[in-house]
Amino acid sequence: MIDVNGTLVSKGKGGVYGEKMLGEYRVWDPYRSKLAALWYLEKSDWLKSSDVVLYLGAANGTTVSHVADYTESVYAVEFAPRPMQDLLEVSKRRKNIVPIYSDATQPQKYAALLEPADLIYQDVAQPNQAEIAVKHIDFLKTDGRYILMLKTRSVDIRKSPQEVFADSCRELEAGGYFVEKSIWLNPYHQDHAAIILRKAD
Amino acid sequence: MTWYAESDTELNLSESVSRVENNKTILPLCDWTVLKDKGLISSREEYIERVREISFAMAEAGIAESLSKKDVEMLQMVQTLDEIDNVINLLTERAVEWHSSITPEFSKKYSRFNSAKLLHKLSNSENFSMKRVAREIISLTDVRTTLMKDVSKKADAVIPNMSALVGGLVAARLVLRAGGLDEISKMAGSSIQVIGAESALFSHIRTGSSSPKHGIIFQHRRVHNAPKENRGRTARVLASKLAIAARLDLYRGELDAEFIADADKKINAAMGETK
Repeated sequence: MIDVNGTLVSKGKGGVYGEKMLGEYRVWDPYRSKLAALWYLEKSDWLKSSDVVLYLGAANGTTVSHVADYTESVYAVEFAPRPMQDLLEVSKRRKNIVPIYSDATQPQKYAALLEPADLIYQDVAQPNQAEIAVKHIDFLKTDGRYILMLKTRSVDIRKSPQEVFADSCRELEAGGYFVEKSIWLNPYHQDHAAIILRKAD
Repeated sequence: MTWYAESDTELNLSESVSRVENNKTILPLCDWTVLKDKGLISSREEYIERVREISFAMAEAGIAESLSKKDVEMLQMVQTLDEIDNVINLLTERAVEWHSSITPEFSKKYSRFNSAKLLHKLSNSENFSMKRVAREIISLTDVRTTLMKDVSKKADAVIPNMSALVGGLVAARLVLRAGGLDEISKMAGSSIQVIGAESALFSHIRTGSSSPKHGIIFQHRRVHNAPKENRGRTARVLASKLAIAARLDLYRGELDAEFIADADKKINAAMGETK
């Protein structure tokens, strides 16, 4: 991934959401985007130019637009009508985004549109986040990678983030995933953990 | 099933959309090279463009449907009303502060004027800017009154049964906080009872402090006018009737006078009942 003197950027046409520019590069803010935060905490090539990405919880399409700058195609799923209107606008300007207005808890409703994914990225505010990831395991290529941004506060407000995290990992492993790594996103995002998954052998 | 059937000879948008919509399975997934081998598309760009045509068509239809839901405008109106309230309160408070800072003999606490009267007085002030501000606040108050009537009228049309029980304004606020008519119609009475008292509810769940008796429904006169020892009961009975009313409003959409009469009887009984 591209950084300019330590600042994460992506290469593409600017002016999507008022992001700062560094020359021809769009600055990708870790306080706004969990994927950018993940890069600052763990500098790895999370996105590759040949990747087909399935993005669950696309919201207004700010992070999606950066992901699209880096990758081949992005299938972006969003459920709420207001952010979806914004996402459609972003998708009109980036031809490699396929915006899907659907509910990530019911993948059969949009499965017919999808292709096998190199990367599935999930950032949804739902109580059953691990279950959603398990439901999408068949969309992942054998050597594909799943990045689950666990919002612990959406799962169960009564439990501590650590408990929620442990429960979720157990559920993911029972559902056929291998937890490769996990990173808490402090100080950029409170009570959020990035869980990196692969298909178990 | 994929959006293109295996036997396709040409790619038709509306057929593809209905294939996606009627699909019930997850596998098999699309393989764009199949279409390329058949000569139906020439490149990956073209494939993605085809898929985008379908997904845009579905998304635009879906958004249009959600915006045409009958509660959407009502919810915007209540939110606007609440924002205007905020603005009026903020500006009034500021105008009073301003006035007291240039009027040594003025005491906010022991003034003969309430804020409405004071605003009236300020609207004839010598101070030009202050006069303008006071007049704006007064005209905003008129806007508020009109809008409030509109909200009630809208609520009577959109959620007639809920409005009949608690009045249009409170009913609309409840629907707003629940996230829409669809959502509130799925809620249990006990959830509706504590809409608007979330912080008390969570502190109850976390620490075991006593549970909240009422949230927004406290704004309804039969709850706040009930004798204190009956308020919890009144709120509970009312909320459970509201849950039924919400379902009537969503699925039937018209006033059920018999239900309302029966519900009113039970709610009034709960208000007056003593142990």
